Amino acid sequence: MSEKVGVYICHCGANIAGVVDVAALSHWAGELPDVAVARDYKFMCSSLGQELIEKDIQELGLTRVVVAACSPHLHEATFRNCCKRAGLNPYLFEMASIREQVSWVTANKTVALEKSKALISGAVHRVIHNQALEPIIVDINPNVLVVGGGITGIQAALEIADAGYHVYLVEREPSIGGHMAQFDKTFPTLDCSACILTPKMFSAGTHPNITLLTWSEVEKVDGYVGNFTVKVRQKARKVNTELCTGCGICEQKCPKKVIDTVFEAGMGLRKAVYTPFPQAVPKYPVMDVQNCTFFQKGTCKACEKFCPTGAIDFKQEDKVVSFDVGNIILATGWDLFDCRRIPQYGYGRLANVYNSLEFERLSNAAGPTGGKVILRDGVTVPQSVGIIHCVGSRDKNYNPYCSAICCMQSLKFAHLVKEKTGAQVYNFYIDIRTPLKAYDEFYQHILETDETRFVRGKVAEVTDAARLPGEEGKLIIQVEDTLIGKQRRIPVDMVILSAGLEPRHDAKEVAKLFGIGCSADQWFIERHPKLDPVATMTEGVFVAGVCQGPKDIPLSVTQGAAAAARVIGLVNRKQVSLEPVRASVNAEQCSGCRICNNQCPFNAISFLVDKGVSEINPALCQGCGTCVAACPAGAITGSHYTNAQILSQIEGILEVELGQREAVPA
Amino acid sequence: MDTRPTFYQEITNMMYATHGDPISTCIQCGTCSGTCPVVEFMDHTPRDLIGMIRADLKDEVLASNTYWYCASCFHCNVRCPAHIDIADLMYTLKRYSIWKNQYPEGLIGPTFAETFVKMILSGGRSYEPVLAPAYIFNYGLQGFLNEALTATGLLLKGRIPVLPPRIKRLDNFRRMVGHIIPASNLVGEAK
Repeated sequence: MSEKVGVYICHCGANIAGVVDVAALSHWAGELPDVAVARDYKFMCSSLGQELIEKDIQELGLTRVVVAACSPHLHEATFRNCCKRAGLNPYLFEMASIREQVSWVTANKTVALEKSKALISGAVHRVIHNQALEPIIVDINPNVLVVGGGITGIQAALEIADAGYHVYLVEREPSIGGHMAQFDKTFPTLDCSACILTPKMFSAGTHPNITLLTWSEVEKVDGYVGNFTVKVRQKARKVNTELCTGCGICEQKCPKKVIDTVFEAGMGLRKAVYTPFPQAVPKYPVMDVQNCTFFQKGTCKACEKFCPTGAIDFKQEDKVVSFDVGNIILATGWDLFDCRRIPQYGYGRLANVYNSLEFERLSNAAGPTGGKVILRDGVTVPQSVGIIHCVGSRDKNYNPYCSAICCMQSLKFAHLVKEKTGAQVYNFYIDIRTPLKAYDEFYQHILETDETRFVRGKVAEVTDAARLPGEEGKLIIQVEDTLIGKQRRIPVDMVILSAGLEPRHDAKEVAKLFGIGCSADQWFIERHPKLDPVATMTEGVFVAGVCQGPKDIPLSVTQGAAAAARVIGLVNRKQVSLEPVRASVNAEQCSGCRICNNQCPFNAISFLVDKGVSEINPALCQGCGTCVAACPAGAITGSHYTNAQILSQIEGILEVELGQREAVPA
Repeated sequence: MDTRPTFYQEITNMMYATHGDPISTCIQCGTCSGTCPVVEFMDHTPRDLIGMIRADLKDEVLASNTYWYCASCFHCNVRCPAHIDIADLMYTLKRYSIWKNQYPEGLIGPTFAETFVKMILSGGRSYEPVLAPAYIFNYGLQGFLNEALTATGLLLKGRIPVLPPRIKRLDNFRRMVGHIIPASNLVGEAK
């Protein structure tokens, strides 16, 4: 067997060449058996670098190519395409990562050269055993699943529906709208939140291409890009939506009042059968079985008696619906940081300490106080208000990240408090971060007109224990005013905690359900933080909005639209080519033990009873290799990861003699 | 080029083994100073002091009374959002200050600290009757009498031992301490 291997070593500017002696490396590689040519070049990924490879393939008749450069994660596709253009099957190419695994992790030139040699030797040994493979072409189902009906999900759903494709919009709560529906005004222009949101909600609710599944949760996802099967549990509303007209009589007549901890953030009441707010989409109410008098005590049924269309259905059960989609967008949003975790701020203990969502409801004209900013006693208008930034954010005791929205939100609160009460407002901040369009303008406006006092310092504690004259009956904010280097105690009537954004409490399970990753903070991980912010490592699953990381409304809408554009682009292609990395069973060796059948995470393996062997469905197989490792007879082979390939790569790596070196100090 | 470590590096090095994160991670938020119960007696707030160390203001830091007034309540440590071991920074500065023999006149802190360490090195345990008189005259005669009255009361209730306690293998203990604190000259004196 005589293969002609070309080895190409990339300088990556100084990224690799600064540590690895590339000239020596390429000289050494040229001497390896089967290597026909070895070259080094400044940037292999540049068009000139790629042309160099193409030229060699054509002129020297190379049958295998190895590029030693960055991680295959970055440029494997680039060089595979390059081989393809020159007429070489792209799977006869192999990459050695001498940047991420060598030059970026050591400054020691001797060991860098040795390890580079080992990796290249491994790649050369492996590439000889590589086989030509053809990509698998599958059809894309044009339907799309959008999970989460906040502003991000609504935007994504509308974009896709307008492009002519069908969208299933799944929302956990009784209505779409998300957190934005709770707000009064939105920064920096102080648009009325409901005024700009409800038209979009209405469009999403009435669009012929959108199937709205509210009060529903995704239970199971099977399949792969282009061909997902989704199971959604529609929780029982106890209201027949085909008969219900949304007249609201049931809600009026329901005698049971419950504190609304979701939409009203605990500030207001709702009934046991309710729509969270008047503009809810869909208009159908849901029944809160935990609090319904009939379900708890067996009597009442007031809603049923008064319903003009007989839509109340106490016997309604949860329904699981199943449908096929080609792509999925996750826009599951965020939870508010629980301020009780910071006991020194007194939230939950001192009555007039509010969190940000509570204040949003307090200042909302449709909220429990009709938009009047008053203390918990329900009458007193505060004379002075302290707004505390960074509550639970930028703090290693809670969440180390910046929640991105709190500065602007706090400035907005300062403005609203001033406008509605005329109170003296204090903002306690560490840094004011106003990085987007017109944001700093808003800050300047507050500085100029609102007479808000800005105190630079993270608040140490909020207490009701008066120590000095003038503090009696007040909440005292103790803080170092870091700009004068003095501890101050500032008495106020009301404290607003600008609490941070946190990933949904079940983000980890949701990520697992959809087969994507979570960062250490449990935000969903995007494919690339800069260049691919809405795709994920799982083909066909996209993320948008705050579930990917803290962001405000404009950015969430942008991401929703971006994810939609990516999906529309994929659907328009009608077909997608999948990596031909698949497992297959050698029927002659298979003993029919079925160990592999239950191991497969993608349910791709079935047992053929008549033949007594297992078989893998190549369309479902994702090439993970679990079955290959599990098979006791060694009857399963993973293409592009055959035993011959892996063992020869290990052999190649071990062939290079690594020098003795001192133990790395711990 | 001067290769001697700067003041900032010296302090950072001395804090290397503490639990907290390095003072380079301080975001100057003032949580420590806002929390501190004795900050009104300090000439610089703890946050300010961290800024001064990072600016290499060695003389100003050593002239400050801040760390001598630290009550070691560790409340700042609990709340610090950057996980800096601020109370230990105060101890570090005390050690550094004694090591360099440079501290403000008229403070009882340095005298107390020095007496305390010497006493521990001589017997391995704290013994109040020796510890107290060494610095008690700073409060004047009236202060001394008040303290003496309290001490007598404690003595009668058996709360203060009559004879100074000693530990076993004192030499090993001294050698151990000599490894930890740079004020090793004290170890020599104590012998």
